[in-house]
Amino acid sequence: MAILTCKGLSKRFGGTQALDQVDITIEPGRIVGLLGPNGSGKTTLIKLANGLLTPSQGEIRICGLAPGKESHACVSYLPERTAIPTWMSVTQLLDFYQDFYADFRRDAAEEMLAHLNIPPKQRIKQMSKGTREKVQLIMVMSRAAKLYLLDEPIGGVDPATRDYILSTIIGNYDPDAAVVISTHLIADVEKVLDDVVFINQGRVMLQASVDQIREEKDMSVDALFREVFKC
Amino acid sequence: MLRKLIKHEFRATGRIMLPLFLVLLVTALGANLSVRGMLDTRYKVLDILGSLLVVAFAVAIIGVCVMSVVLMVQRFYKNLLQDEGYVMMTLPVSVHQHIWSKLIVSAVWFALTIVVVCLASCIVAFDVGFVQELVWGFRELFRELSRYLDAYYAINGTVILLEFLAMCFLGCCVMCLQFYAALAIGHSFPNHKMAWSVLWFFVLQFATQLLAGSLIALLDESWLHHLLLAWTEGWHLSGTAATQLMMLTVLLGEVLYGAVYYFLTTWFLKKRLNLE
Repeated sequence: MAILTCKGLSKRFGGTQALDQVDITIEPGRIVGLLGPNGSGKTTLIKLANGLLTPSQGEIRICGLAPGKESHACVSYLPERTAIPTWMSVTQLLDFYQDFYADFRRDAAEEMLAHLNIPPKQRIKQMSKGTREKVQLIMVMSRAAKLYLLDEPIGGVDPATRDYILSTIIGNYDPDAAVVISTHLIADVEKVLDDVVFINQGRVMLQASVDQIREEKDMSVDALFREVFKC
Repeated sequence: MLRKLIKHEFRATGRIMLPLFLVLLVTALGANLSVRGMLDTRYKVLDILGSLLVVAFAVAIIGVCVMSVVLMVQRFYKNLLQDEGYVMMTLPVSVHQHIWSKLIVSAVWFALTIVVVCLASCIVAFDVGFVQELVWGFRELFRELSRYLDAYYAINGTVILLEFLAMCFLGCCVMCLQFYAALAIGHSFPNHKMAWSVLWFFVLQFATQLLAGSLIALLDESWLHHLLLAWTEGWHLSGTAATQLMMLTVLLGEVLYGAVYYFLTTWFLKKRLNLE
């Protein structure tokens, strides 16, 4: 069964059409790049999948469920901004995730935090922006979720941190789960992707596997992206 | 899950409210010392210090009361409608559970604030001559009154007191829900969310007062007045029963207002959530 399906999904904000008749199917075990320029509708799609927005038209299903309380239990979501409560200490944050998510692997999270030399008693607000983002990613990737929705996980961080983030994603996701990575930094994520979805002005331009693109078009995903979205 | 939400809500709010309670109790001790001796000394320094301690106690009382309300609004706003909302609104819990957890925890802090302010006042009054005389006076007054009161008035008086407390408690919950509803509606707009929230708070306030005012006006020489008179024609209500009826009507009214605000809050959080 597909983990994420969108059928005729549209979202309108006043006079702006953010998503227009989007049809996407994401199967388990795939790492999918949701690629598009800024303002193309990537974040809107991810917010709809998380129930943070309601569709204007069409439907979206996660593991066969409409976004809501039940679907949240099988989705691990990394927002584009740091959203973890900053007043908490690392230990309190671990308690928080353990309390609400049955699939949270506390030992894995503690191991990753120890690897980064982050003291358990340190408060989130005492950390640098980069460390906060790493802690948030560790919490998200320490869940054995069925679907990981990662919104711009490597946006605004230095190349060394990008490598750390990508290796954390690859090293920690459940192989039976699907991972959706939304970004416009194609070259950095291309090496980890199985499939790509090109999205522009709220419409899906292309959905294909990376191998298919390389075989049929004889070019990298980054090169194809530059060609499709040429200004 | 509601229990877990409440646990974390207490953790988030307790770190602010508990130290404030402690400060209030410490300033109460200071004020007690001041009232008992420092204000009537020959030494100017002690006199000034005594006055400052009393002022500190008054400021602490105001601070604790204001903070319990500010914290109620701030937790809903920051935790559900700002950046933290991305984590909170994607937890495997329902919107109803979110609102109930915030409401329950705020109500508990309101109740605890009243208890601690009373406790602090007792500390200030401890072993102070004129307060002891005042307590003695009240004791005498109740003793005199109890000579003329029978079990009927004692029971009814207790019930009315309990109803009054329930009315205050419900009033606090309705006030919370009015803030929540205004914030939820205001934050469904794409821009100037806080300005819209403030505007909606006053719109809700105006609508509530208009409805209540209209109802009171209707009770005076109108079709509703005559309808109620016709209904209650055979009733022979004593003064106590009439008071009970009035208290129950007010309680019911508060529940209805609260239900409307609750519905608005849940609907906007479910259907019109628009995090930045």
